[in-house]
Amino acid sequence: MVLTGRVRRRHLIGVAAGGALSATAPAGCGLFDDDPEPAPPDALQPLLDEALALAAAYDRAVLAQPGLAKRLTPLADDHRTHAAELARVIGKALPSGAPASGAPDADPAGSVAALRKAEQAAQKTAVVACRAAPAARAGLTGSIAAARAAHAEALR
Amino acid sequence: MNEQLAAALAAEEAAIYAYGALGVKLTGKGDRIEARAAEAVHRGRRDALVSRLSRLKASTAPAPAAYELPFPVTDRQSAVKLAIHVEDGVAQAWRAVLPVTTEADRSTGLNALVDAAVRATRWRRLGEVTPVTMAWPGRP
Repeated sequence: MVLTGRVRRRHLIGVAAGGALSATAPAGCGLFDDDPEPAPPDALQPLLDEALALAAAYDRAVLAQPGLAKRLTPLADDHRTHAAELARVIGKALPSGAPASGAPDADPAGSVAALRKAEQAAQKTAVVACRAAPAARAGLTGSIAAARAAHAEALR
Repeated sequence: MNEQLAAALAAEEAAIYAYGALGVKLTGKGDRIEARAAEAVHRGRRDALVSRLSRLKASTAPAPAAYELPFPVTDRQSAVKLAIHVEDGVAQAWRAVLPVTTEADRSTGLNALVDAAVRATRWRRLGEVTPVTMAWPGRP
């Protein structure tokens, strides 16, 4: 509660100045810029981007080859689970319900091989992230690296 | 860190015992090759842990002479199930090492976690257990 007075005052100034400005609205008003720069992207952001991209890639493969659904859907679900947890830890909302998009890969063997390659690349990102992670994130990133490696194995 | 490394050692020792017990119930050639390779990997890690813990001057409990298996291993199906159970347990022990280590020790733990997760998936595929993966290998 120590900040209440200040926040309320900022809020009041904001209201007086523009009506629509809230206490936390940062944009475009030098008078209220307490935080100079937007925060740099979280170190987990690349992992989150990859998890979403992989989930979408699996969706596209299943759209192109419904026969692969049983094999690929659980892997896509793992990535969505990772994305949700990563977004929670980073403290941001997930883009809502991004549907599968882009041209489906017509050749199922080709698409499984491409997915395997993507998993291996994503595993490397997670390994690097785990090695550099603070203690609180070491288990999270380690499990994601392990899951991605297991996915690549599942696609052999 | 010593406590988590000692727990990883206990998990590796249990894995070595379990592979001995389950190996005789496996049938296919692929099964047996995989089990032998896995057992060798667990022995290698056990040895590395013993030497790491000794350099840390950490005391460890001696490995039990025998273990109670979580369920009877009577055929190939239960043997594969035990292999999956063991790799999942090893993954859990190594995951707990990650937050309490840095640098080389963390890399060792991560490699072990990744390897156990891959082996568990391989056993699930060999045993036709679905799904073959889990979202959070090593998370208890």
